[in-house]
Amino acid sequence: MSNSAPKPTKAASNASHRNETIASIGTVLVLVLLPIWISGYMRYSLTLMLAHGISVLSVTFLIRFSGEVSIGQNFFVATGAYTVAILNSLFGLPILFGVLLAVALSAVAGLVFALPSRGLSGVYLSVVTLALGLAAPDLLLHFSDYTGGVEGLQLDSTIVASWPTDLQQYYVALAALVLVVYVIHRFRHSRIGLMVLTTREHPHAAASFGMTRGTARLSAFALSAAIAGLGGAIFGITTSMVSPNSFTFWSSVTLLVGSVVSYYSTRIYGVIVAGAFVALMPQILSNYGQITPMIYGAVLLGVTLLANVGVPAAMRALRLRSHRHV
Amino acid sequence: MLPVLWQGMVTGCLYALGALGLVMIFKSSGMVNFAHGALAGLGAFMVYALHAGEAQWSWSAAVLAALASALVIAALTYGAIAPLLKRSDTTATIGTLGVGLIAQGLILWNFGSNIVRLDLPLPPFRFELLGMNVTAYDLAVMAATVLVVAFLFLLIDHTRLGITFRAASTDPFAAQVCGLSITRVHLFSWMVSSVLGVIAALLIVPTTFLSSTTVTTFMLQAFAAAVIGGFDSLPGSVIGGILVGVACNLFSFYVAPELLNAFLLAFMLASLSLFPGGILSKRMGSRV
Repeated sequence: MSNSAPKPTKAASNASHRNETIASIGTVLVLVLLPIWISGYMRYSLTLMLAHGISVLSVTFLIRFSGEVSIGQNFFVATGAYTVAILNSLFGLPILFGVLLAVALSAVAGLVFALPSRGLSGVYLSVVTLALGLAAPDLLLHFSDYTGGVEGLQLDSTIVASWPTDLQQYYVALAALVLVVYVIHRFRHSRIGLMVLTTREHPHAAASFGMTRGTARLSAFALSAAIAGLGGAIFGITTSMVSPNSFTFWSSVTLLVGSVVSYYSTRIYGVIVAGAFVALMPQILSNYGQITPMIYGAVLLGVTLLANVGVPAAMRALRLRSHRHV
Repeated sequence: MLPVLWQGMVTGCLYALGALGLVMIFKSSGMVNFAHGALAGLGAFMVYALHAGEAQWSWSAAVLAALASALVIAALTYGAIAPLLKRSDTTATIGTLGVGLIAQGLILWNFGSNIVRLDLPLPPFRFELLGMNVTAYDLAVMAATVLVVAFLFLLIDHTRLGITFRAASTDPFAAQVCGLSITRVHLFSWMVSSVLGVIAALLIVPTTFLSSTTVTTFMLQAFAAAVIGGFDSLPGSVIGGILVGVACNLFSFYVAPELLNAFLLAFMLASLSLFPGGILSKRMGSRV
């Protein structure tokens, strides 16, 4: 992970920081302008990509800030999507209100599920997320009075009546993604964010500032769940329809693979890569039904091995060679 | 009620076997093996292919071949995971998910998503006891579990390898300073775990059917057993397994079988709140 990399000098880090900022702003500009040239199904795919990008960020956030793996994010994504859908289709409330409630509800759910294992090794939380991931579709099917069962629910995703719907969906998704990326960026440099990060390397130092490991994990998990809930809400708005099929255990596995593929990037271009992976891979792989898990598994294992073993080894070799020339 | 309890005990034994494997790996290397279920399922499918497929091997030959290849696969998996484990436990856990997906893909690729039937070579023997229907299968499961657990505990308590395992799981650094090979301990636990997994998978198959997802979902119960027993306690995982077996059977008999996963989730959260660190942790003193 990033914290084990050697510290670059201040000037170099400033320069790379500036480059990253320029790349981020460029990506946002391109994304804002893209709908001018792209329409129809491609625009829908792009919106889906942004929505999945938010969900992938929730996995990335958890891995980076607390070092835990969650394979039950589909539960929180489903919470977000169904909150919006139920409020809209059963109670007729506007979807933006639903989005706010979705985020709040998912955060509370994350808090509740992480609370029992707060003082224990992260293994317990991982297993709880496994159960969450497997239970989510069953619960959606069981409470069919509210969730619509197998068929799911339809929702009306127009906010401003006179604009084309797909354009609204696209910009709502883009705004949400940019907001999440910005919030994570600010959180990374905030007092609380720094304390949460400190609990991983120096738990005693962090505890002396009032942040124990348990509290840090709880807050990271709740925030991650909130992001996943937002991702789900945006997903629901994008597809205008929610059904249990979109929130299976498999979907949280693909979110994790997306996070790994983007190498846990919280920068907007990394998130776009991850979102594109999650949104487009099923379409590319639709002809390889039976071996799809194998491809995902190979990507997961391959990228992790490459990033953690291959690249450091290559860097070492490169450094050795450059030293020899000097 | 008694027959339900008995059935729960029988399946609970199998969850205990699955959980033992998970706990072995956690104790030695501090990570969760999410590939456990899929790899065990691969073993069961191998027995099916060799025994019931075109090869028509005898039962024992097929089982031996599957166990041998499970050992090889465990060693290979550990070989892939070991460099990740040096970086962080989280990365290694993600790696095992990758391995699990590959194993599941292999099953799907070779056998499709069809449901197949695989019976154990057991005599059609049964008797009634206090209204419980005791079959040869139940007795075989019980006997296998007792044998395997007894063998494992003897191995860990009395052999040199077992002492190495305990030393490395208590304090890996001190064990390394004393000249013990951590890699060997890890390999030992991965191999034992894979054998336990295949045995559990073979024994669970007659009660359900064998499909690409049966064993993977079965392993959620094993994970729950490990959580309830405490991930760092081998005896705890056996007790946890039997508890989970009984509780799951009661729940699916009296409440709703389709909500079993949600019930396991609630059961785990309740157990974590009441006995953080496992049901045996209090009696054994505090551990981190």
